[in-house]
Amino acid sequence: MEITTEKRGPITVVAIAGSVDGMTAAALISSFRAEVSGGNIRIVGDFAQVEYTSSAGLRALLETVKETRQQGGDLRLAGVTPDVLRVLELSGFTHILKIFPDVESAVASFPA
Amino acid sequence: MSVASPRQPGGPRVAVVLGSGSVKCAAALGLLRVLKREGIGVDMIVGCSGGSVYAALIAMGHDVDTAEAMTRRLWTRELTARRNHRSLLSVFLPRLFGFDESFGMVDDALILERLKATFGSASIESAGIPLYLTATDFHTGEQVVFESGPIVDAIRASIAIPYVFRPWPIGGRMLVDGFMSDPMPVGVAIRQGANIIVTMGFESPYQQKINSPLRFAFQLSSITSNNLLKSNFAFHNLAHHAEILPIIPEFKDRIHLFDTEKIPYVIEEGERAAERQVPYLRRLLATREESGMPR
Repeated sequence: MEITTEKRGPITVVAIAGSVDGMTAAALISSFRAEVSGGNIRIVGDFAQVEYTSSAGLRALLETVKETRQQGGDLRLAGVTPDVLRVLELSGFTHILKIFPDVESAVASFPA
Repeated sequence: MSVASPRQPGGPRVAVVLGSGSVKCAAALGLLRVLKREGIGVDMIVGCSGGSVYAALIAMGHDVDTAEAMTRRLWTRELTARRNHRSLLSVFLPRLFGFDESFGMVDDALILERLKATFGSASIESAGIPLYLTATDFHTGEQVVFESGPIVDAIRASIAIPYVFRPWPIGGRMLVDGFMSDPMPVGVAIRQGANIIVTMGFESPYQQKINSPLRFAFQLSSITSNNLLKSNFAFHNLAHHAEILPIIPEFKDRIHLFDTEKIPYVIEEGERAAERQVPYLRRLLATREESGMPR
């Protein structure tokens, strides 16, 4: 899994490539935690290159969603692939996460 | 070759959980094919509703071709051809015909006969891989997990589709389909100490047309069970300490309750979906074995 981070004004875009699973979730959580502890609480997870997510990946997402929302921010997902979307739907995560077709719309969804 | 785990104590415990989904559950045979080919052992199998049939066949050590042939003989449209007239009359004249908890529109003699022909007198505890089959207590809604006893009885209870097959009595309890308490019973594998859980389950199809009271009832049942599937799966994902890998085959065609002629296609899709997870499953197993994951 590769993680790249980019600032777009007050929004942090975290682009992930590969699988978000038990082998990689710790790295993803570390990356998200570093952003949140640095005050970057409005995050877009660019999932266009994510092939798969497992339960460990879901737990990483949930932790970050809770952390950012507790501080008034949010983690929103963009470009979720059909395979990953099926897992998010099956696990009910589509009810609690805001998901956008692409990074631009996800970034624009945050209030200015 | 069996998929029973050859691993030593102290290694990972792999569970396969097969949820409800009628004919779509045959995709489990595609998963079995991949696990065998890759030499990935299984420490326990959990089955619910349609998944209980395949869970039992796999746990008993049948290969894919044999299991496919057995289920094609077992699950045909004739199963629902004979109506249970007394039950049907009891809907309209409940006092006269004594409507009670044993309601089921279909005469279940044939399904029972077919289950006996398929599984004989085999017991759950005699299966080569530890097997757990689930049903639902009709009176309390509780999940009931069978770890022993005749496979035929447990499957009959697990596939007691509401309205279609009458609830099945075991040990003083009236039991209905396992999907009513959990359509994909991952929790059973968690409770039994599995750490790597490979699971396959399906949402109940929605009716394309609501043109009868039965379709109306089925629609309500699908809405409830699909929401139950998602909420339970969400909880299990968050509650489990290790890894749950959902294998979700993608069917381009709609698969109906008795589309047994589509079983080869369903197996192929199951195989394809399972293959996509093999690289990760292998890495996960290697890591867990190295770390000596506690049981």
